[in-house]
Parts: sequence; C-alpha cells; structure tokens
Amino acid sequence: MVLNINGRDQHLKVDVRTSLLDALREHLHLTGAKKGCDQGQCGACTVHVDGKRELSCLTLAVAVQGRKINTIEGLAGADGGLHPMQQAFIDHDGFQCGYCTPGQIMSAVACVHEGNARTDADIREYMSGNLCRCGAYPNIVAAIKQARSSMERG
Amino acid sequence: MADDASWFGVPTPRIDGVAKVTGAARYGSDEPIAHPAFAYLVTSSISRGRIADMKLERAREVPGVLDILHHGNVGSQAKPPPSMTGDKATNTLETDRIEHDGQIIAVVVAETFEAAREAAHKVQVDYAVELPSASFDSSGVTAEPKKQKENPKVGDAASALAGAEVKIDAHYSTPTQHHNPIELFTTTCIWDGPKLTIYEPSQFMWGLKAAVAKQLDMDPANIRTVSRFVGGAFGSRGGTTSRTAWIAIAARRLGRPVKLVATRSQGFTIATYRAETRQHVQLAASRDGKLVALSHEGWEVTSRPSGYNVGGVDTTARMYACPNIATAVNVVHADRNTPGFMRAPAETPYMFALESGMDELAYALNMDPVALRLVNDTQTDPVSGLPFSSRSLTACYDQAAERFGWSRRDHKPGSMRDGDWLIGWGCATACYPTNIAPCAIRLSVTPDGRATVQMAAHEIGTGAYTTIGLTVARALGLKLNDVVVMLGDSDLPPVPVAGGSNNTASTLNVAAKACEQVRDRLAAAAVADHESVFTGADPKGLRLSDGMLVGDNRHEPLAKALGRVTGGALEIHAENVPEGLPPTAIGSLYKGTATMLRGGSRKDVTTYAFGAHFVEVRVNSRTREIRTPRVVSAFAAGNIVNPTTAHSQFMGGVIWGLSSALHEATEVDPKTARYVNNNLADYMVPVNADVPEIDIIMVPEKDERVNPLGVKGIGEIGIVGMNAAVANAVFHATGKRVRDLPIRIEKLI
Amino acid sequence: MRPFAYETAADVASASRFGREAGQGQTDAPTQFLAGGTTLIDLMKLDVLRPQRLVDINPLVARHSEIEVGPDGLRIGALAKMSAVAAHPEVLATYPALAQSLQLAASPQLRNMATLGGNVLQRTRCTYYRDPSWTACNKRQPGSGCAALEGVNRNHAVLGVDENCIAQYPGDLGVALIALGAEVELGGAAGARRIPFAELHRPAGKPHVETTLKSGELITAFRVPAGPWTRRSLYLKVRDRASYEFAIASAAVALDMDGEVVRQARIGLGGLAYRPWRAEAAEASLKGKPLTEETAEAAAREALSGAITHGHNAYKPELGRRTMVRALLAAKTMEA
Repeated sequence: MVLNINGRDQHLKVDVRTSLLDALREHLHLTGAKKGCDQGQCGACTVHVDGKRELSCLTLAVAVQGRKINTIEGLAGADGGLHPMQQAFIDHDGFQCGYCTPGQIMSAVACVHEGNARTDADIREYMSGNLCRCGAYPNIVAAIKQARSSMERG
Repeated sequence: MADDASWFGVPTPRIDGVAKVTGAARYGSDEPIAHPAFAYLVTSSISRGRIADMKLERAREVPGVLDILHHGNVGSQAKPPPSMTGDKATNTLETDRIEHDGQIIAVVVAETFEAAREAAHKVQVDYAVELPSASFDSSGVTAEPKKQKENPKVGDAASALAGAEVKIDAHYSTPTQHHNPIELFTTTCIWDGPKLTIYEPSQFMWGLKAAVAKQLDMDPANIRTVSRFVGGAFGSRGGTTSRTAWIAIAARRLGRPVKLVATRSQGFTIATYRAETRQHVQLAASRDGKLVALSHEGWEVTSRPSGYNVGGVDTTARMYACPNIATAVNVVHADRNTPGFMRAPAETPYMFALESGMDELAYALNMDPVALRLVNDTQTDPVSGLPFSSRSLTACYDQAAERFGWSRRDHKPGSMRDGDWLIGWGCATACYPTNIAPCAIRLSVTPDGRATVQMAAHEIGTGAYTTIGLTVARALGLKLNDVVVMLGDSDLPPVPVAGGSNNTASTLNVAAKACEQVRDRLAAAAVADHESVFTGADPKGLRLSDGMLVGDNRHEPLAKALGRVTGGALEIHAENVPEGLPPTAIGSLYKGTATMLRGGSRKDVTTYAFGAHFVEVRVNSRTREIRTPRVVSAFAAGNIVNPTTAHSQFMGGVIWGLSSALHEATEVDPKTARYVNNNLADYMVPVNADVPEIDIIMVPEKDERVNPLGVKGIGEIGIVGMNAAVANAVFHATGKRVRDLPIRIEKLI
Repeated sequence: MRPFAYETAADVASASRFGREAGQGQTDAPTQFLAGGTTLIDLMKLDVLRPQRLVDINPLVARHSEIEVGPDGLRIGALAKMSAVAAHPEVLATYPALAQSLQLAASPQLRNMATLGGNVLQRTRCTYYRDPSWTACNKRQPGSGCAALEGVNRNHAVLGVDENCIAQYPGDLGVALIALGAEVELGGAAGARRIPFAELHRPAGKPHVETTLKSGELITAFRVPAGPWTRRSLYLKVRDRASYEFAIASAAVALDMDGEVVRQARIGLGGLAYRPWRAEAAEASLKGKPLTEETAEAAAREALSGAITHGHNAYKPELGRRTMVRALLAAKTMEA
C-alpha cells in the first residue's frame, strides 16, 4: 500500500482493516493525529485529505491511496518555522493538555481556507467538530482570528 | 517570599507550547516502541453474577492472536490495585465474579490492533446472571452512614430550623458523570529483565509505581512510570486502575512490549467516575438574611465493596457564617464500578445544592441573591472557629457583579425577555480548599548559567512545565529559556498526586526551597571568600538576579559564584514537608502515598480560595433550548503564578460548570445497571458553539499564611458553584426551579 | 471488525455486480458499499456490521456528485458530499430547508466525508443497537426483543414505532427531502428506477430490514421538484448542544402562501420518528387557513396525535408540537 503523506509517498504493509489514523500512528510513527474516540465523535484525529479536513479514524487507509494526506507534522514550514495557526494557538493559550490540539489546528487551518472563519459565530460553529475537554474554546476562537489575518495576508 | 509580587503575575506563554502545537508532545501511546504487541480488553456485559464459561476457541483462531489473559490462566498473578478509600477494591481477572458492568474479564493480545479487536469480539462468555441494583431507587441497594471522619456539626440546627422566621427545605440531585478526557486510557508495558517501564497517562507517577509494585509483588525500584504529557485527567488518572498490572503481565508472558489503547466506551467502566448524589438542604434565616441554621445531608452511590464518598458537607458547612450547622453523608451500595475523584469531587455536587438553596432562600426573603451572600460572608470558619488565612468573597462578588451589570437585573422571575428568548441572570459562590502536600525536587545549576529542574510532576494541562520553570527562573535570576524542566517520570524525585488542586502549591514551594538552598550555598561561599567582592557581607542580603549574585550594591556573575562551590554543576535535592504535616509524610511520599494538608483540617487557619459566578441564560420560549451567552467569574486565589495559564484553568473550570449544569450525565440502564450513553456523541460535553464569552477576573489577594509562596490551587475552583449559578439563572428566566441536574429541555417543558 | 474483501467499483454496473449480496434493504448484508464510511466503518469497528466484502464506490464520485438546479427542480448526485451541497449558492437560495438540514448535521469534517446517499441510509443511534453486548435488539438480531422499551429511551422515537423497535431515524437531510417530496434515483443490475423518497424507508414491522433497496441496488441521485414552497422553507433543529448533535426534535417546513392563507404546507419531522416522517394530516389541516398560532398548534396536535411514548421520551410529543409550531411561524416570516 502506498500513501502520500505530507508530500511523500510512504510504503507500508497493513491489514485492510487499518484506519488511516492507525496507519499514521502505529505504522508511520506520525503520532500527532490523536485517537480520542475512534468513532468520529471528537475530531482529535483530523487530517487533511486532498486539502479538506476529514477524520482519519473513520477512514480506511486502503481507501485513500492516491490522495494527498497532510498531518500536523507537515504543517510547519520546511525551515521548521511554525505555521501562523500554530503560533496563534501558543499566543492565545488555545489549549491546556494539548491532546486535542493537533486536530484543532488542522481543523482551524481548513476552517480559514474554507472561508468559514469570517465571524466569531462562524468560527464557533465550524470548530464544533473538535471537542476540547479542557475548555480552551474561547482562546481557540481568538487564535483563529489572529491566524486568519496573517493567512489572508500571506 | 510572598512579599515579592514581581516573582509572579507576568503572563507567559507555555514553554511546552511548541511541542503541543506541532504534534511533538508525547502522550502515553505516542512513545515509539519497537515491535509492540497490541492488547484489546474484553469487558463484562452484565453487572452482577459469575462467568460460567468463557469460550476462547474462535478468538484464538484469529490470525495474529498471541495470548488471551483471563481468570483461569493469570487470575492469581496480580492483586487488585489499592482502593482510594483503603477498603476493598473491585476485582477484575482475580475472580470469576462480576461486580459491575464493563469489568475487565479478559485481555486479548495480538500482532496487530486489528487482530486483537477482532479476537476480543469473538470471545464468547456465558454468564450466571444475578439481578443487579443500578442506583438509588433499585431494589437490593444497601445504605449506610459514611465511615470516615465525622461530619461538621455546630450548635443545634434542628431547634434553630424549627423556630426560624424564614426557611427553605429542598431536595436536590446530581447525576453520574464521567471525566472523558480526550486522551483514552492507555498503557504500554516494557520489560527489561526484572525492570518494568510503564507508559501511561497518570496524575501520580510515584503512586502508580508503588501500586503496581504491590499488585505484582515487585520491588518498586524496578518499576518506572513515564507520563510526560497527559491528555486531560480531571481526576480520572489519580488512582491506579486494574488494567496496568494485566498489561504488565501480558508483556511478561510474551517477552515483548504490549500496548493497550482502551476504547472510549471501556473508559466508562475501567476507570472511575463521579457518582450520582441526592441531597437534602434546609436553610433558615432571620428577616435580614442572616443565616441561623444550615442542615445538609447527602447520599452518594458507590460500588458494593467500597465506601468511597466525597462528603462535600465539609465545604458547605464552612461557606457562610451560621451558628447552627448539622450535616450528614450516607453511602448507597449498588452493582457499579467504584467511583473516584472528578474535578472538585466534593464541591461540584454539594455546592450545587447549597448555592441553589441560597438562591431559593433569597427569593423566600425577597432579597437580592448577591446581597444574601454578602450579608453572610465571614472571615471566621464557622465550623472550627479558626480564621480563614484569606477570604476575598465579597471582593469577588463586587467586581464580578459590576462587570456583569447585575444592578440592572429585575429580581422577578420571567421578567426579562429578548424576542422569543427568556433571559435569566443567576449567580453563585465558588470555593475550593487550598491543599498542599510534601514534595521533592532535584535542581542543578551549571556554570553556563542554566538550570535543570527534575521532578515527577504532572502536566495535565495546568501548565506545570511553565509554572515550575518560572518559579526557578525568577528565584535563580535566570531567563525562562535557561531553565530546562523535566517532568513526568518516576525516575525523578516524587511529587504528590495532581489532585485536590495541590500541585502548584506543592511543586512551587519545594522549587523555591531548592532555589533558596542554591542561593544559601553561593552566598555563604561568597562572603567567606577573601577575594570576593562580597567579603564580609551579610549572606542573607545576597540574591540572584539577571545571571548575577547581587547585594549590597555589589555583583558578580553567577558562574563565578558557582565556581567557588564546585568546579562543575551544583546539584540540590530538596524536599518540602508543609508545616502542619508530620515529618514522616515525606517518607510516605517515596512509598507512593501523598499526605495532604487540607484546607479545612489545619490547626492554625482554614485555607480556601473563593470566587463568584454570574451567568446569563437564554431559554427559547417555545422549544426550551438553553443557551448561555455570557459568564463573568471572579476568583481570588492568592498569588497568581502565570496569569496566562491561570486564566485558562479558571475558564476551563467555568466551562466544566456550564457542562455540569446543562450537559453531562451518564445514563444507567435501570434493569441491567449498565451505562448506556458511553460515548462522546451521547455523553454530552460542550462544543465550541456552546461556549460563550467568558470573562475571568483575577482579584488580587495576598495571603502570607497559606504557604510560603502565598499560592492557592486553581484547577478546580472554576467549576464549583457554576452549575448552581446556571440553575438560578434558569429559575430567573422561567420561574421554574430545577433541582435535578442536568437541566435539559424536558425539565422546562 | 471482521476481515473483508475490498473491491473498487469503477461504475454503477460494476458496483452492482460486486454488490449483488448487498441485501434486500437489510441492515447486516454480507456486502456493503463504502462511500464516506462515516456510518459503515463506525459500525464495523463496533462489531455491529460484519460484511464479508466492501465495495468502494468512491471512484463513482466524478460522475455522480453533480448538483444541477433547473426549472423543474434540483438534481443531486448521490455521492455529492454534504458540505458541498450545504454551501451551494443556488441550493441555499432556492431550497434553504435542504441546505440547512445538511449544514446543521454532524461536523465539518464528517460533512466533508459523508455523501448524500450514505446520509439518508445512516443507521439509528440507539445504543442497544450500536453495542452488540446488549442481547435484545430486533434490528440487529430479529426476534431478540427490544431493550430500549424499558431502558434509557430519552431520544427514542414516538412516531411510527411498534413493540419491535422504537429506534429513531437520526438523519436531518431525510426530513427535508420528505417534506419537499423528493425522489430517489436508483441504479442496479436490474436497471435504473426512480421511487419517491417517502418509499425508501420501510415502516415499522421488520426492524432489520430498513429500506426497499433491492440487492445490488444503490442510490445514484436525488431529485427535488421545484415548487412555490421551496424558497419559503426552513429546517429547525432542536438539540441540547448548540452543534454536533443529533436532533431531539426537528422540523422541515415549506410553505406556499397566499397572503396570510396557506395554499400548501409541507412538513417533515425528525428526531421523533422511526423513519423520515411527513406530517400529512397536519399539512391538510393547514390548507386554506390563515397561518396563526392557533392553526399551527392545531396542525401540530394533529401531527403528534399518534405518538407512543416509553418513559424517558414522554416529553417528545410536546417538544415535537412546539418545534413544529416554531418552524411554521418562522417560515411564515420568510420572503417567498
């Protein structure tokens, strides 16, 4: 099986039942995407598939061959510089335990790209697929607003 | 030290922030492990009875299956983990008895996660089923007064209630709740000869190590527990649960690392939870609102063997000036797993009842609910007669009420409206005892002007890396960047359980003490050195600042001062036993027991943090959805170490409080005593769209008696009372008093 | 999750050929079509569904996900993603109830994955169905009983239920489709056919057979007829959380008004029923009458008159009535 992850083809031999999330975590050691429910109810496993945010836990790895998969590990620039969204999450303390954070950030980047981060109400609604049990939501909204500006500029 | 406010209060981004936003932060199941086998739990589908037969053939036939652990082959190889109350724990594989729903009855281990899961689903179990008791109203439950220490009692509440001018008498109830941290319950075990390494999210590294050592009859020195980052805990990872020992045994049998990531649903039964309560509150006051009697009795569900209870009357009895107080707590045994700590374990349910009762009393008195709190505020603990070390409740109410605009409130229920939405404003008191426990630390300072802190502390989202780093940086006069903080590993000096909001006070006070020892050593050597600029100076007058040893208008670089005491690094191992605890408490910590000096049990002062919540609810006039557009909460909790992370802690607590009021409840099937909504789609926690503007006010408070650094724990106070504030606001909006949480549409229709 | 053979279908014919064991509308057929996977993979992990073969129909996306808005109505390919349809400007303008039903469902990630065809076929959220460790579930195991009858049934259905099953149809889109009188295009070995959406889901009786789909048949498109009511339409979803939750009551309402008087009302109800539910008696009661608080309430009483409750869900008929009234009165204020 060949998966294109963060711009590179990765060859792996896995059970047909393997979810994209388990393929990333257990076979490719990309543990940024998190398992929080494994059933599409928390958003911690959010990755981009062909540029769209999707849940890797409900995706069979075998079914996304030939598609472009991007994870939190591929978000920072090649020089290691943080993506504006990552920096904004730090600046606004958009997390506490940090476990849902990679999923939040992947979701947030997509949210801006979709054009669904225009108002606070939009951000709240369009970020509601990512549970944060620590309750960092207002800071996440603030972070997305900051990153939105720099993403639109840049 | 508490005088030096400049130590604290500067908003500082987390030093572990980059790790968390890049996916580099390693949580338990993220550790790269060579060639692990994967475990999947089989749990019981009945709540009471016996395993008559377990058929494993179909499971064993699954390609890749390596081993199946069950009562028959490993049951005698581990003892149950010690219970938090010291009484009997519930069993797992040790017995063929089933004592609760979802009890671990087998562990399947396979080459892959997929094979282990398939095989676990193919394990067939025949049960000898007995009729279970689910909760309070089920037949077969047994009730008894709680066994631990006595409940607070002052004066003669019964007589005072009988003769009172104004009183309320009400029954409240709170539901079963589960912590549901987003990180699942995971355990990875690796053996290297006699040595066992456990990667597991934990709120008590040394406690986990000691407990597993007892369970497996091992020398604790041979066990290392690692938990560098914990993906939320909220109490769920404070005690040791049974899964860990079985995964260790599985790894030992295979001679290979074994990794378990339990499912979300299994998390409801293989760990602890907040049990449902029922409470009876009677309050009496004179016409001016002064309390004359308070009676508070609670009933709490627990498992068959355990007497676990939270007994929140210890706090509610101390909340207001009152000459007559009667309290009682009862436990009700049902066929359930054993409950445990969940964020503000005692205060969340019990303050819901008290603070709802206070609102009811305010309406009985036709008095403003804020005014009623203020008239009963006190600087003296009404139970012990001791002073509060500090208590800024009135300041919290004043500042939050002002910010909220409370003076514009029309007292009459149902009087405020915006189109189709009924508006209600409610308030309630928040509080949490300030606890502290013994703690140890290793601190080294090197000639390059850097320091390394090592301690088995817990980063559960509180910002521990940063608060510890800040404390050391400031005490040693270094930049935060020059302090390396290493936590989450039981090979490092012990830190008490990250519970009871003690960890900030416990870790920072020992860190400050270690830094003080560094300063002492450097200062003593400096004044004794005849060639030093400090020759003959008073060593007490020297301090570390900006990479220098300074004092008396003189200074020298840290490296030079350090060079006097060592050619290399100065390493300090410090321990702190808070005043009021026996010296043996530090020894107990090394054995995995955290002895807590509790806010309500000190001999000199009573130590609590206080706060005030204000919330606006909007209830749709037709369909009764409840939304909360804004919250203002003020807290006074001593010195605030890092306002950035403190704000997040308070805010997270407030959101938990909203959730406790409106969302969270685990449903128990009445016939089978099984949890029904055991997943994150059916167990409601707030989503981003549920969370309003939350305005957090940190009221300045100096407290020189609470502990040397003057810090109070803040991890739990935010949730306390918030549920009552919402219920009170719902009453104000609709005229309907909901005394049973959560408040949902069906209760307002 | 049990092992399965994974096949990829290039077109409807090959999908149908691979899928000939896809069952006669049965919940646990040995062959299942994989589209977005948001229901299927979930239920396979839970060991509820144990297909021996998955036929991945995602290669059909290119030819079966178009959104066409014409004078006769709307035609949407069955593999269109929920998010794409929800954001489509003409759907938003002309069929707001439809767009809203999609927009208010699930989460952005799930809406990016799930297709319309899969969405209308999503399975109930009843825990007693979703967890095989509960032995009594007629939907999973015909004849085994229904644990929900005396269990925790706060969000179970009150309309169209019988003693075999009180599971709720969880979808939102289906509620809008039934209100708008949609049709379903089907493809399969036996050729293409078209049926009213109202005939896709079977009434109560055999809970393990949910739909009228034949073996190997799959939904290829939805057609929503144009009508004077589509612009004045909305979907109201009532739930505990503000987002990312299934409905506890919902209503899709479309109105053709002559001034204050209702020429025609079309009403679908969700969160309340065993299958997508059209409140035809309520529609009839409104016809020719001015739409007022009173007539809306009378219609709502009509709609919920057959409700059967089982304890925890006793509030649902009243909530259903209120939801419907609120939706009707809100739709009245819309511009046609």
